Amino acid sequence: MIQYNTGKSAKRRASSTRSPTPSLFEILSSSNYSPMSDNAVSEEASMDGHPPNLASIPASDSTIWADASPLLQAACTGLRDGELIHGDNFNLFAAMSALEIMDPKMDSGIVRTYYSIDEAIENGAAPIPISPDSTVDVQSTIDIMDHLLACEAAWHKGHSLAQTVFSCIYLLRLDRTAPHALLHSYCRVTRATCKAVVSLVSDARTHEEEDLFTMMYGLPLNGDGDDKCLSMLNAVEETISRQLRACKAASSKRRLPEDLEPLQSNPNLEEGFCKALLCRLRFRKHFFHILACMKRPQGRGLESARKHIASCTTELESILKSADFLRSCFGESCEGDIDDKTTASGREPIGFDAMLNSRLSAPMPPRAIKILSWKKAVEYFVKLLHDLDVICSHSLDEHLESLLRFVVQFQKSQPDLVARSHLQLLLVQDGKLYGRDPFFAVITKAAALPEATKNHDIQKNESILQLGMLVMNLLKILCTNAAWQRRKLGKLLQDWRVIYVQLELAFRNAFGEVSSSSNDENICMKIFQHILLWVEEQTYWIAFRFLILGFELELYSTSEYCMVYWYLYAVLIKLAEKTHLKMTVSYDTAKRKGKKKKDSPKDLARESRIPPAVLFLQCYMCLAEGLTMMLAALRNEISVFQSPGPFNTEQEKFAQHFELLQRACIPDHVSYPSYKESTTHARFSTLAMYNYFKDAQRIVKEVKSSFSNDPDRLSELRKLEQVAEHNSVAQNLICRLGALDPSLKVSFEFSHHPFFPTVVVKRS
Amino acid sequence: MEAMPEEKAEFEEAEIKYVSYGGEHHLPLIMNLVDQELSEPYSIFTYRYFVYLWPQLSFLAFHKGKCVGTVVCKMGEHRNTFRGYIAMLVVIKPYRGRGIATELVTRSIRMMMESGCEEVTLEAEVTNKGALALYGRLGFIRAKRLFHYYLNGVDAFRLKLLFPPPRQELSPSLDT
Repeated sequence: MIQYNTGKSAKRRASSTRSPTPSLFEILSSSNYSPMSDNAVSEEASMDGHPPNLASIPASDSTIWADASPLLQAACTGLRDGELIHGDNFNLFAAMSALEIMDPKMDSGIVRTYYSIDEAIENGAAPIPISPDSTVDVQSTIDIMDHLLACEAAWHKGHSLAQTVFSCIYLLRLDRTAPHALLHSYCRVTRATCKAVVSLVSDARTHEEEDLFTMMYGLPLNGDGDDKCLSMLNAVEETISRQLRACKAASSKRRLPEDLEPLQSNPNLEEGFCKALLCRLRFRKHFFHILACMKRPQGRGLESARKHIASCTTELESILKSADFLRSCFGESCEGDIDDKTTASGREPIGFDAMLNSRLSAPMPPRAIKILSWKKAVEYFVKLLHDLDVICSHSLDEHLESLLRFVVQFQKSQPDLVARSHLQLLLVQDGKLYGRDPFFAVITKAAALPEATKNHDIQKNESILQLGMLVMNLLKILCTNAAWQRRKLGKLLQDWRVIYVQLELAFRNAFGEVSSSSNDENICMKIFQHILLWVEEQTYWIAFRFLILGFELELYSTSEYCMVYWYLYAVLIKLAEKTHLKMTVSYDTAKRKGKKKKDSPKDLARESRIPPAVLFLQCYMCLAEGLTMMLAALRNEISVFQSPGPFNTEQEKFAQHFELLQRACIPDHVSYPSYKESTTHARFSTLAMYNYFKDAQRIVKEVKSSFSNDPDRLSELRKLEQVAEHNSVAQNLICRLGALDPSLKVSFEFSHHPFFPTVVVKRS
Repeated sequence: MEAMPEEKAEFEEAEIKYVSYGGEHHLPLIMNLVDQELSEPYSIFTYRYFVYLWPQLSFLAFHKGKCVGTVVCKMGEHRNTFRGYIAMLVVIKPYRGRGIATELVTRSIRMMMESGCEEVTLEAEVTNKGALALYGRLGFIRAKRLFHYYLNGVDAFRLKLLFPPPRQELSPSLDT
């Protein structure tokens, strides 16, 4: 469309009957268009038909505006059904990203309230001071602080920064809040905190699926002087502390030498407001400190972080307690459910507009997001602080094996992105564990090699270096959300299998080349043996995690349980075997180093005894086998838990679920035919012959004492015991009644354990 | 989704007529149905992309001349597999629970199979129990979980159906 020339009078045309919105021609002709002034170019028209005063594309000598509506009308009439006029480079696939301008579902440029931040401010959307009444001003400031906290929690939980924290007009134009020291310092610390958190999560780079988090959209996150934000906050805190002391002194009739100006005009509310403000300011201060401490390399700041976490938690408790006072101080009854409100007082905060930034979020369609309620926001931060505390209290001097168990345990509480990023950055820094231990050293320790091995030249070997990278990536992946984690673990299986083959080859070459020193040969061979065994064990551990995460993510339907438990059993056998072998080899190595001159009876006994870690795995094996056989028998006898579809069979589902494992040959010689062979003969009569669940119960009893100092594993054993007990009874019931009672209903509930269900038998 | 018990339409299953996408005259019917029932904003080009390029994969269900359901799909090469994709599936509320969606999807899948697809895939919200049950019955597995896939924060499952290799005998239940 070409522009209308200056000076010519505009002829009004009726707008096209199709759309209810005015044509651009109409807007231009009715606007206060001044051709001589230097008007800013604007891109959008407003929804309600009022032309923005500055809207125009400047005319030039060689262009005029002309109304193209009749031309378009004629084209529409001329086109037949199904015909499309398009340019040469038109492409249907690309056209899918087209937006229909002014469709509220798609056009994020649609003005809802204000045209721009400046217009919002001009219209009094974010007044400074917030109110001429100092009491209302203080109350409103607290509301803003609370709503900001709710926004921050909503951001952490996965919404965009633009529509949450930066929906705050005060934050968008921070400098204008300078006269209001309280609001200004609070906003500045909030901005600096957000910047620190964005930086943290970006560094962790765990956010492929969570990349909405770090999208800054050109928001003003970098402020001059933000590094001084804490001193500003401290100054304000100090003032309010003095005020609190003063009003406490006044109430107890003691007079302080200073004659301070009160915070607000109602002396009865002064103390309550001071307290409410202080805990909020202190929360921000300590939270900022936590981030700074935890960022310090090699975990040096963890102890300090813990202190700040404790203070932060205390302040959160005070913040929660302040709600009663804030709600009551005006005697207003608030509309609607207080629990849904984003402020402690229940009042709507002043100075927020989420749609102001919606243009920044384009091309995403405009979406109203729900900010967390204030209560839920506080709960979120309480949990975050708890998760951070768990990270900070973890010892940095552990075996890789127990570190892996710690990470798995930590993930059980479903920590959010910010906590997980902290963990990942603590574990992997500068290509080393905790930024301190080279991964080769970590591997040799994990493979039960002597301490001195970590200095061996073999670490320069290409395959060894790659193995180090694999371990590093494994740690990072274990810190991500379960859904993403499982996909990555599946891909890892191939890498670990390949590295095993490469290592085997590399070691054979190195071993073959070493000519003279038989001592070196011995050492090389030992490293070879230990590391290869350890790699295999780790590979099966990854396979085990991959399979059981499927339960947490609800990827398996009941009709698929039989094959899943069967495959799990196959993986567990190998895992137990490799674990046991590794322990035997390391024990032998220790013996050969001359540590034991004679085999004492105790040593002999220990050698023949199965290590507790292996027994633990055997317990899993019994449960897996028991469930496989029970499911197979149920399917074979009474045709339940199978779902024949019209398009494919169980074989295709097997291929799909275990594709990545099969491709990496984990384990070898495991296939659909062998699965069928193992399960096709299961019947209630065969089930009655052997009770794997009783085996599991027996093992649990035997192994409990070995883990008396390990509360996590004890807890796990207790859960396994419950599952075993229930399922043993259920199995007996099924065997006795299964064939006779057609009304028997069997269901599987994960009520005691996350990946081993309790079998529930009912007669309907 | 529904808080109140809905008015259910009265009809015999045989009264439902299934039609393959026949041209531009079907497009507004599909668009109205999807616009009405789904919250995702689709421009007209999104619909055109699917029905122009793969008209044989989209189907409509009519009851007494009224369009009550539709399925919109595509297929193509994706990382060395020839794969079908179910983009939209809608049945209006009064007609749900009577197998119309299953029939629409089945027709489309059969067409994909006959066209040489090796597998079929789609995404569904983890909370959409109805869809998950429907596709589960047809042989789809939940291959992956996609964290916060939808902008409202809900996770999705990627559902996949793997066809048996062509040499295998088709099961008798395919002859419907």
